[in-house]
Amino acid sequence: MRRKGWTGIVLLALWAVCGFDPAWAGVPTEKIKETTDKILVIVSDPALKDPSQAAQRRERIRKTVDEMCDWEEMSRRALGRHWAKRNEQERKEFVRLFGQLLERTYVDKVEGYSGEKVNYTGERVDGDYAEVDVKIVTKEKTEIPVVYKLRNKDQRWWVYDIVVEGVSLVNNYRTQFSDIMAKSSFEGLMQKLREKSAE
Amino acid sequence: MKRTGFVFVIAILCSVSLGCTCSRQSTTSYAAEEGFGAQRVQLASIQTASLQDASAEEEEVELVESSGETVPDPLEPVNRAFFEFNDKLYFWVLKPVATGYKTVVPEEVRVCVRNFFRNLSFPVRLVNNVLQGKFFGAFEETCGFLVNSTVGLGGLADIATAIDLKRHEEDLGQTLAVYGSGPAFYINWPFFGPSTLRDTIGTAGDIFLDPLTYLGDYWYAPGARGLNVVNETSLKIGDYESLKKAALDPYVALRDAYYQNRLSKIKE
Repeated sequence: MRRKGWTGIVLLALWAVCGFDPAWAGVPTEKIKETTDKILVIVSDPALKDPSQAAQRRERIRKTVDEMCDWEEMSRRALGRHWAKRNEQERKEFVRLFGQLLERTYVDKVEGYSGEKVNYTGERVDGDYAEVDVKIVTKEKTEIPVVYKLRNKDQRWWVYDIVVEGVSLVNNYRTQFSDIMAKSSFEGLMQKLREKSAE
Repeated sequence: MKRTGFVFVIAILCSVSLGCTCSRQSTTSYAAEEGFGAQRVQLASIQTASLQDASAEEEEVELVESSGETVPDPLEPVNRAFFEFNDKLYFWVLKPVATGYKTVVPEEVRVCVRNFFRNLSFPVRLVNNVLQGKFFGAFEETCGFLVNSTVGLGGLADIATAIDLKRHEEDLGQTLAVYGSGPAFYINWPFFGPSTLRDTIGTAGDIFLDPLTYLGDYWYAPGARGLNVVNETSLKIGDYESLKKAALDPYVALRDAYYQNRLSKIKE
């Protein structure tokens, strides 16, 4: 009898662990969750909703996103084989412009926040690489699957790609970049990026 | 997780007959799902061969790039012209109409309309799940269709999703891909937008499985399809705008997004 009681308690404890605090949620998921939670606080802050606070709000979201994303890694991957051909100066300017564009795209996305829920549904870690599965549930109950791809650099996890509904952000830009460079040149691409950031 | 889905169909049917609400059911199902998910993910993390293969150093980035991960586009000039046409069509016709519709019809109703049309296209998903040998998918789709058509008042309410019955969006384009067909080449149709030769053939075939096709007099089917398009658009105004805003070349961005999304659906 006593034994059965113990088994019951152990099972209950196991269930509690599995049910309430996903046992698989490792460091990469925590990293994503930490940033997402910070952003949710900013976009839900009534004090920042006022139009006069818009610039400050954007700035705070921007800073938070910077803590999560490795813009240089994203740039390297988006340029693909063209990265190797660029000198230090060109790379620096490219990372700055492309980083700005990505950052702005991200900020635009989260600024339109209207009560979506974020569920963490899985994580895969393999050495210095990790993937975190997230489901964003909109007000209309549509589920948007998102995968964050992370890389461990200097004991910290950094996002280097975001895959939304199977569409990798980095791959999407790489296709655009190589198309533009095939039709004009790297300088032509830089010109387009400059125009875009001036918009 | 799949088992839970089935158990909950029965649970929900019982609970409805007892007059219970379904909200409690769905919370329980969520907790249970997390438990199952935990095991699944732990297993997966032991079994995965290597994430590094998929993503890695410069040389490998090159490999990915040259391995045909982009769709051939021999019709690019024509496609670009139709892209411009669709762009104008969206901003001048579809968006204003959908915006007007949105102001008149409350969001709850528009979600019901979406649910209704999605439930109605069940035969397309059923047949393609079967053709691809995805029998559990076919089974889960059937359960979802039965639940939504009855308890969900003819498909207006999506009870299936609430009780954790997954949707398996399979179409003939994906079926052809599973049988080994490549995309052939990209086509940006006027009015219909991004597709490939394979997916166009698929869509044409799927029309025969779509109950709307058999709606009788020839004005009803196009009317219903028109409503579906306007309704869908009203629920995602801003998506196309943000794609355009983020892109350096919106035509290529849309083509690539379409292609990548199809690839991921085929893999599922």
